[in-house]
Amino acid sequence: MNLERELQRALRRESPAPGLAARVLARAQAEAEEPRIAHPRRHWWRAAAASLTLAAVLGGWAAHQVAERREGERAREQVLLAMRIAGSKVRYAQEQVRGIGTEQK
Amino acid sequence: MRRIIISLIVTLAAALPAAAQQRINLDFPGLADRAEEVVDVTLDASMLRIASKFLSNGDPEEKAVRDMVTGLDGIYVRSYEFAKEGEYDRSLVDRVKSQLGSTWKPLVTVRSKRKENVNIYADMRGEKIVGLVVIAAEPKQFTVVNIVGPVDIDRLASLEGQFGIPRISKESEKDRD
Repeated sequence: MNLERELQRALRRESPAPGLAARVLARAQAEAEEPRIAHPRRHWWRAAAASLTLAAVLGGWAAHQVAERREGERAREQVLLAMRIAGSKVRYAQEQVRGIGTEQK
Repeated sequence: MRRIIISLIVTLAAALPAAAQQRINLDFPGLADRAEEVVDVTLDASMLRIASKFLSNGDPEEKAVRDMVTGLDGIYVRSYEFAKEGEYDRSLVDRVKSQLGSTWKPLVTVRSKRKENVNIYADMRGEKIVGLVVIAAEPKQFTVVNIVGPVDIDRLASLEGQFGIPRISKESEKDRD
């Protein structure tokens, strides 16, 4: 008998606290709006990350171009110097040979 | 197919030591420390390709150098200028010469007691020059140039006096007078 009464008490219908429906609706609305606020934030971070990556890639490429240009200019100067030295020695030898040829004539 | 592969291997095996022979050892330990001025140019094939890109096409002199450099496998220069005479061992000339194999032929030898001794050696493959070594020994200066690859000597000699640099040989003519 006691058990039956306790079950009845436990399972009896109770009316909700006043304002519950309004609170539930308000929370549901807030949750529905929350993702709309979160998305732009995520997009902003993505855009920032993409910009940083692009800047890093472009910066690296520009630095590589500068280094390559510097190396190329150095190589160019070295080639000109090497050719000047080689040319002067060969020309000197040629002139000595031609000088001997002219003296013999 | 097997014959083609074997002939390729034989060709490569013959070509590799030939290329290796054209480049000589230009390492002179301690010489740079005694010198007042040192020129050290080491340009392998890849550096020459890079340099060619930066040689102006509009400038006739630079264009001439670019034409010469195209097809070369390397340019190596060591030049040491000393404050006084006798600061380097003249046997260095023989040390360089001793590295030259049987394909190297002497083209020009200039001997002078007071001035420059110049030895020009060419690595001859038939009629073609595929490598060049210039050894110039002066009382206060020692210079070795090693060019690896096909060289036109007349064109090389004609390069002197360009790039706004006065002809060195003109100065030596004045010295002679």
